[in-house]
Amino acid sequence: MGQWLLPLRGAFEWVDTFPSSIAIRESQYVYPGLLTSHVVALMLFAGLILMMDLRLLGIGNMQTPFSQLQRRLFPYQMAGMVFSAITGVALLYAQPMRFYPNIFFWLKMFLMALAGLNAMAFHYLTYNSVSRWDKDPILPPAARLAGMLGLGLWMAVVVAGRLIAYNWFQ
Amino acid sequence: MQPTFEWMNNLPVSAAIRESIWISPLVNVGHLLALVLLVGALLIVDLKLLGSDEGTSLDKIARDAEPWFIRGFVLMFLTGVPQLISNALREYYSPFFWTKMLMLVVALIFTFTIRRRVVLSADGAISTGIRKLVGAASIALWAGVAIPARLIGLFT
Repeated sequence: MGQWLLPLRGAFEWVDTFPSSIAIRESQYVYPGLLTSHVVALMLFAGLILMMDLRLLGIGNMQTPFSQLQRRLFPYQMAGMVFSAITGVALLYAQPMRFYPNIFFWLKMFLMALAGLNAMAFHYLTYNSVSRWDKDPILPPAARLAGMLGLGLWMAVVVAGRLIAYNWFQ
Repeated sequence: MQPTFEWMNNLPVSAAIRESIWISPLVNVGHLLALVLLVGALLIVDLKLLGSDEGTSLDKIARDAEPWFIRGFVLMFLTGVPQLISNALREYYSPFFWTKMLMLVVALIFTFTIRRRVVLSADGAISTGIRKLVGAASIALWAGVAIPARLIGLFT
């Protein structure tokens, strides 16, 4: 793993010694329960993000104006994100030294940061002009680009997350 | 059933999948991405069933979502079969696998009969109570497919 991660190693090793971390790690049901909850939460989040990205790309959910779709789905997307984050942090807390040396874990974190930047750029820049393209069958290039990046990046996050289970490069 | 599962497990293609380092993870990743699509196309309609009547009507939302749901399902099936045949005996002995398959049959029948009639009906033809009930049942049934599915691999 890259040298720039080394300062974090101490923190990961420290958390690894917490009795509560060890307790979750060794419990027969809590860890699988957290893992399953994480999958359910991320399905809610990624599934509804994907539906919005299909609309931005002009290939799905076209009978709903974009702003209406965004208003309707946003609360559920946020609920999915919060629940994914809580279960994700708990999983990390339970096995810090499993994730620290895993390249897919760091790749996932990096891709999530990029996906977040894409979402913010869309929300604070492109979305301002939504009234001009809300019902258009072909959206402006900036909106289509945001849809394509959102789709690609979030799917890549899901892929990297799943691949954490395979320690090919350790 | 057991001889069928042993036969699947012993197919040359099953052995080839088991012996490859890459095929299983990639098929598994494809299955998960297809699940994201299927769940998105499912929830966009179920949340409308549970939510308010304002905005685009339920039947339009459902008509938009249906092809994506079917695409998601076809991809799930195509990526599910190789996982089943290459692990046929593990699946055969897993109660979670059988729970998943039973729930899958129930969820599919429900989705393409009762739910389909309700979501494609004209505005106001179905009472709010029935709509909410169908939306909640749909989410519960499909969660009942996905949750045991995740548990197959965790408790072997």
